[in-house]
Amino acid sequence: MLQQVPAVKDLIRKCVRCGQCRSVCPLFKEIKNEGAAPRSHVFLTQLLRDGELEPDSALARRASRCLLCKSCSKECPSGIPVDQLVVAMRNHLKDHSKDNVKRLLLSKLFKDQKSLKTAHFLLKTSQVTGIKSLADKTGLLGLISSDLEKANKLTAPVSGKMASKNIAEVTPAKGKRKVRVGYFLGCATNLFYPARAHATIEVLTVNGCEVITPKGLQCCGMPHIANGDVVSAKTMTENNFKLFYDFDVDVIISDCASCSSMLQGDYYDQLFAEGLPAAVTHFKGKIYDLNKFLVDEIDLNANLEKLPKTTVTYHDPCHLVKSQGIKEEPRKILKLIPGVELIEMDGADQCCGGAGTFGISHYDLSRKILDSKIVSIMDTSADCVTTSCPACSMQLGHGLVEHDLKLEVKHPVEFLAEAYRKVK
Amino acid sequence: MQSEQLVRELKKILSPDKVLYEKLDLLSYSYDSSFKARNNRYIPDAVVLPTSTQEVSEVMKFAYKHEIPVTPRGAGSGETCGALAVKGGIVMDLAAWDTIEEVDTENMQVQLRPGVVHAKLNEHLAQYGLFFPPDPGSSKMCTVGGMVANNSSGLRAVKYGTTEQYVLGLEVVLPDGKVITTGGVKSRAIKNVSGMNLTKLFIGSEGTLGVVTKIRLRLWPKPKARGILMAVYDDLENAPKTVLDVYKSGILPSGIEILDSSAIKAVNEYKPEINLPDAEAILLFELDGNPASVEWEGNEVARIAKNRAIKVEWSTDPKRMAELWQGRSVTATAAARVRPDGSRVFAGEDISVPLNKVTESLRRIKEIGKKYGIGVVNYGHIGDGNVHTAPVINPEDSAEVELANKLVDEIHRTAIELGGSTTGEHGIGAVRSQYAREEHGEALDVMYIIKKALDPKGIMNPGKLLPEREEQ
Repeated sequence: MLQQVPAVKDLIRKCVRCGQCRSVCPLFKEIKNEGAAPRSHVFLTQLLRDGELEPDSALARRASRCLLCKSCSKECPSGIPVDQLVVAMRNHLKDHSKDNVKRLLLSKLFKDQKSLKTAHFLLKTSQVTGIKSLADKTGLLGLISSDLEKANKLTAPVSGKMASKNIAEVTPAKGKRKVRVGYFLGCATNLFYPARAHATIEVLTVNGCEVITPKGLQCCGMPHIANGDVVSAKTMTENNFKLFYDFDVDVIISDCASCSSMLQGDYYDQLFAEGLPAAVTHFKGKIYDLNKFLVDEIDLNANLEKLPKTTVTYHDPCHLVKSQGIKEEPRKILKLIPGVELIEMDGADQCCGGAGTFGISHYDLSRKILDSKIVSIMDTSADCVTTSCPACSMQLGHGLVEHDLKLEVKHPVEFLAEAYRKVK
Repeated sequence: MQSEQLVRELKKILSPDKVLYEKLDLLSYSYDSSFKARNNRYIPDAVVLPTSTQEVSEVMKFAYKHEIPVTPRGAGSGETCGALAVKGGIVMDLAAWDTIEEVDTENMQVQLRPGVVHAKLNEHLAQYGLFFPPDPGSSKMCTVGGMVANNSSGLRAVKYGTTEQYVLGLEVVLPDGKVITTGGVKSRAIKNVSGMNLTKLFIGSEGTLGVVTKIRLRLWPKPKARGILMAVYDDLENAPKTVLDVYKSGILPSGIEILDSSAIKAVNEYKPEINLPDAEAILLFELDGNPASVEWEGNEVARIAKNRAIKVEWSTDPKRMAELWQGRSVTATAAARVRPDGSRVFAGEDISVPLNKVTESLRRIKEIGKKYGIGVVNYGHIGDGNVHTAPVINPEDSAEVELANKLVDEIHRTAIELGGSTTGEHGIGAVRSQYAREEHGEALDVMYIIKKALDPKGIMNPGKLLPEREEQ
């Protein structure tokens, strides 16, 4: 299987090991030895492919030490998609990986809306009564580990209802329908940021979009593929595209950088080696990040009321800026809103160290990367942090709490929705 | 000494987190950017990450006592196996020791530790309006320590020279652990001819004489303006002639780069939007200085170039300059594009020839490529005769590897025959020492004497720089 992955088969040989990847890797910056350089991942993948290395837990652990932030893939002069190689390694080595907690969380809780409900309940309970009490109640005592404690620390507070509870499958456009939008409501937005999901729907409908949010949506598969579970990622992708296809939507959008990046086919080479399913092909070029869709694809309603004076700074999620080249669009939205002033932070496009579930298994490393991000945020003295990814939001939120900062983390669309609301 | 014992002993000298010994870590230290390292595994027995002179000294004392090879390493971005433990032993990774200790603006110099990355240094110096001029293509990742060890240079060597012109003094840990300071223990002088020039002895010695632990560099004021001129040729011969015409007019550009037809093709295939004109050769001149002088010199170079070129374009517009310069900066990468299943390999990549032999060397390299059926892409720093050749092969095919080795040997011999050198900036390492006797004659024996005097046990980066056969 490893040998069949296109990047492994054809691109490893193009690596000249120049080391330019060292200059951009957030983990290398912290670890500071060659074992952490992205080119080392390329080299080790080569050795594994050629049988010079046998699959084992040490190698699995090494493969887990990557944020999949794509900084190196984007920087590489030879065009090596290092993140693709790492994902291929993780899949190949999954039986040797010891990330039990992560696996369990993903396979049981981050799958479809039903399992998310369970996750919602468990999180709510644990956040009210503490992780140990939850473990006692659910019999998960055997799994109590520092990892689970960390997972609990890193997740954003869950309150009220999941977004999907209050979102109909079809939300009509306000006024004349211009386009039928499939809204990919991702797990993290659904669970942790329901206000964001509602804001997305509000803004879309105000702008003449009929919004379809299929009830049967499953996870986009990014967390699964990032943890070596290609099979689940594939099944879920097929399911999701079929739903949108059956609803006959014109485009698919997501307010989560990782979801839109995944849906656009970041890892399709590995998911669909035998060829893309028809429903996936149908949506080629029709999948958008929310910011980009609003700025580039529709005539955005600019009838906005002034908001109370607020300064915001914006953090670029890796899966937007590096995967999709989206940098200006969210800023354009923020600049459009009267009363909101954008203050750029240093290194806005530097990874926050969250990387989905990375922070759980590599908490200390992740924390170091996060700390420099928080310093950059503090230097702006902004009132609010904005970003376009719920995973980044959680990571930033955690960092802000740890630094005793009382800043909110929002998606630009939340400000936009607020400004529309005031018009009414 | 057994590896386990070695690691145990090293952990007594350094804190345990500064000693690497896991298999996957050691494997990660087995490569650099060279062709040779693609096909050989040079796996060290241990890696150490010292961050003080004392730590380096203690490791050296230990290695000296037990006769264990020590290979100093920067970013491992070299092309000659220079930082690889070809004889096993300890790799001393100095990249994490990256402190800029003092910027002395009044004396226009900086003191730093060896792991500082070149680009980071210049980013830091920009606030003072100063810069360290040598500019290797690997600026983003290479360390200043590595630059000193290899006497590195780059695109702007034609005006600014190489690293050695900027090093005022060094702190060096000798193979037996003794620490010395070259260039004067207390000196902050810029001109200094007191004593033998030991600084220059260590520069370019590729870590074979000691470990550089501190560097004092002279800095220059950063130029305020820049412009790029492109000249297009339908006859390769005319390109070097223009270079000489420009020199004769009294103008010294900060960079003069050439792309031959193979490189133009590669760049256009890689990035069609750059859209270089289809031609036999393209020259790119970079001029820097003050705005008025840059403007005047640019127009003058344009006037001169028009005598031989079929097209000339001069620009000080940042966007256009970036596009034009990109034509050169992407060449090294673009080379591989001439063959979809191929990769550019770093071998025979760095010959240096007299200015009046550049055209001939380019022509002959093309012929050699044809002879072995290997596509080669040629580009380089024509302003100082440093020609970069990129053979493009499938490095996973052993027959092609063998042919490439023959091709490379012929390129090196051509350089010597034309009165040049096998390497203009990348160094000897473990890949070019076989030409040492031919290149240096009896001077090689003096190199052996120096090596023996400073490193009597031969533990300092063995297997590099000097031919092994004669080393003992």
